[in-house]
Amino acid sequence: MVGFLVRRLLSTVLVLIGVSILVFLIMQLVPGDPVRSMLGQAATAERVTEVRHQLGLDRPLIVQYLDWILGVLHGDLGQSLTLSQPVSSILFPKLGNTMILAGGSLLICLVIGVPLGMVAARRQYSVVDRGSMFVALGGASVPVYWAGLVIINIFALKLGWFPTSGMYDTRNPGGFEDVLVHLVLPSVAAAVVPTAVVARMARGSMVEALHADHVQMLRASGVPERLVIWKHTLRNILPPVVNIVGLQAGYLLGGVIFVEVVFNWPGLGGQLYTSITAGDMPMIQAGVLFIALVFVVVNLVTDVAVALLDPRTRKEA
Amino acid sequence: MVLSGKRLRQLSAVVIALALLAACGGPSASSGASGTPHSGGTLAIGIESEVDVLDPQRAGGWVSWRVNRQMFEPLVDEDLSKPSAQAAVPALRPGLATSWELSPDGTVYTFHIRPNVKFHDGTPLDAAAVEFNIRRMWDKSFQYYDAKAAGQTNFVWQPLKSIATPDPMTLQLTMKQPFEPFLRLLSQGGNGSTGIMSPASIKQYGNDNVGEHPVGTGPFKFVDRVRGQRITLARNDDYWGTKPYLDKVVFRPLPDPSSRVASLRANEVDMIAVPPPDSVASLQQSGFQVSEGAPPHVWFLSFNFNDPIMKNKLVRQAINLAIDRQGMATNLLKDTVKPAYDVQAPANAAYVANTEAYGYNPDKAKQLLAQAGYPNGFSTVMMTSVDGSGQIIPVPMAEYIQQNLAKVGIQIQLQTTEWISYLSKWAQGTPPGVGWAQQSWGMTTPYWLYIVTSSSLKAPNGPNVGGYSNPQLDQVMQQAMTATTEAGAVEKWKEANRIVTDDAAIAPIVNDKAPYILSSKVHGFVSPSEEWYDLNTVWLS
Repeated sequence: MVGFLVRRLLSTVLVLIGVSILVFLIMQLVPGDPVRSMLGQAATAERVTEVRHQLGLDRPLIVQYLDWILGVLHGDLGQSLTLSQPVSSILFPKLGNTMILAGGSLLICLVIGVPLGMVAARRQYSVVDRGSMFVALGGASVPVYWAGLVIINIFALKLGWFPTSGMYDTRNPGGFEDVLVHLVLPSVAAAVVPTAVVARMARGSMVEALHADHVQMLRASGVPERLVIWKHTLRNILPPVVNIVGLQAGYLLGGVIFVEVVFNWPGLGGQLYTSITAGDMPMIQAGVLFIALVFVVVNLVTDVAVALLDPRTRKEA
Repeated sequence: MVLSGKRLRQLSAVVIALALLAACGGPSASSGASGTPHSGGTLAIGIESEVDVLDPQRAGGWVSWRVNRQMFEPLVDEDLSKPSAQAAVPALRPGLATSWELSPDGTVYTFHIRPNVKFHDGTPLDAAAVEFNIRRMWDKSFQYYDAKAAGQTNFVWQPLKSIATPDPMTLQLTMKQPFEPFLRLLSQGGNGSTGIMSPASIKQYGNDNVGEHPVGTGPFKFVDRVRGQRITLARNDDYWGTKPYLDKVVFRPLPDPSSRVASLRANEVDMIAVPPPDSVASLQQSGFQVSEGAPPHVWFLSFNFNDPIMKNKLVRQAINLAIDRQGMATNLLKDTVKPAYDVQAPANAAYVANTEAYGYNPDKAKQLLAQAGYPNGFSTVMMTSVDGSGQIIPVPMAEYIQQNLAKVGIQIQLQTTEWISYLSKWAQGTPPGVGWAQQSWGMTTPYWLYIVTSSSLKAPNGPNVGGYSNPQLDQVMQQAMTATTEAGAVEKWKEANRIVTDDAAIAPIVNDKAPYILSSKVHGFVSPSEEWYDLNTVWLS
């Protein structure tokens, strides 16, 4: 297990360095000069050159990259070109907000998706099964953007139960409760697709597990159905369910970006979009690194969890 | 909530009355001023994008100046208390200077600094503080010189030769030569601004960080900023001028247009900027107020003078005549804009109504094309962005022009780029093969024409992106800039307009009305002839 962890962590570092080089190179291909956008239409060539020099953008690319990566290795993510602020002071709060939103969605996805799949599997081909799977299929096919607008229209505008967007009340920003009220609609919108996927996956695994030989054997031996389900079947569907939940957690980090736009949630996605359109290289680099890091960590945690739950995968690893 | 029959009838009556009021009022330049203004309340404004830094000298974009302006003031300001209908061009008024004199030769400005004004941090305003600010934007040898601020405010300070403070409350600026647009330029924002910041705050936080701790002299002072969520300002109770009614103002960035409308409908904000054109009528029917102005905004095309076809004046004139500006304004943009017939916007003292030169006349356009040797038209490329500050909806607008020109035989291919890349491409100058590049800009000072047409500012050295050059125009504009009286300058600027119009160097297309949608409880909001507004007169019922 320890060897497995060490290998995975080492490969994580390599993946992150690879990602950073790739992003750096891709951004060089994108046309446009961040200094031009900073100084606006009226900027003369002379002033642009002056500011480019001040920001060190006139140095060779390799020097710029090495300078940046050395900073990162020392825990310094650099300064935002457009905001003149440390990247970390802008990005960490945004990353936190994205995690709150993704966390809320993941919770909904677990609490609704897994039981829904299990119930459907227990009553295979019943109305409950067909109904819930139809809804799940619908949910998995809905564009997040559209779902978000529909949800806002019904629950914020028509019913007035929740605010339309944002993270805090505009006039009287509050604390935890304020965030919670604002969190409901966006996390539901972000959870629609993953919940549907998890429900379908949980159903499939459960159906398979219920038809396994040992379950037939237990049932034939007169073991109560309650014990068959909770003790002997649930354990068996956990590895695939954990796997798919892990994948969905990764998906959520990407998916919430659209939800952030629709619900004006001040997360990493919106910030990254702004930074990309402004050509703010240090911000883009750090933002992409964060997402890659979280993705890799979620994957690692999933693999470890699966390995703990299923001894067979541990041996293979 | 269950409503009894009586309550329901009362409520319906109120709703109908409100709807009628809104219908009778129509688009008004200033929002309903019924009732007595009183202090208190928080005004929440849904704005169209995140704000740049809260450092007024560095910050680019109108969105940022609308916020910064509430906290920072220049020496000379514009009177924004009158709607466009009453003041087509906002009058200049004393800002942090109570008065000023210009030497007879037009080169020395003497400003008398407003006494007893304190910055929000309690430090006093004096001539030294103003000098500190100017040196930050202009003097490379100054300890607090800031290249970003200098880059933004380049056109204001370029003619400045020296600064002197003969006494603690007097500031003398000596110019290299007379520069008539100077006072008006002092009042501008959007490409940086000359808003005066507390020198103590710059010393304390440094050039890069002072934008996180903005300290000015304006009617509102900074409370907090949560990026992506809000910027909160509170009334400055020690303000030297008319104190605002509002206790607080919250600017909330809502970049998604439908979110902006939803937030307004859900009463989360009291007013929104840039409503989607399609939503204006239905919002009005729901009892919201519309406030429109005539800011100095021109959505225009710069023809490429390095292109063999575009070099031909007849071709440029034909294109101008073939574009149905009124149709675009009414059908595509639902009257949120006005057709533009002059290179300067109406919010400019040198505006000339040029309806004849640019009126829609496809038949005459065809004749001119035939005369120019293109009876069957030709193909070219139009450059525009897909989004961006003041660009309205550039792609559908470009497609509208594409259809218009196809009718006279000119086939255009659209080359669209997102804003930042576009700005860089645009500033490099229109490349060969491209017929024209589009941009949105404008100022209340006629000097703007110099910025986009002077042969000394041909791209990539300046914003004359089409490479237009007319020695006669250069001479007239030089005379306008060095005129010693405003009237004399305006005459020369009008002459410059006529030259540019006759050359058809630029095709103005529309002027934005910059509509704002306000809830019925917002009173006293004025849409002046500027891209920004004051909030001193606003109160909530």
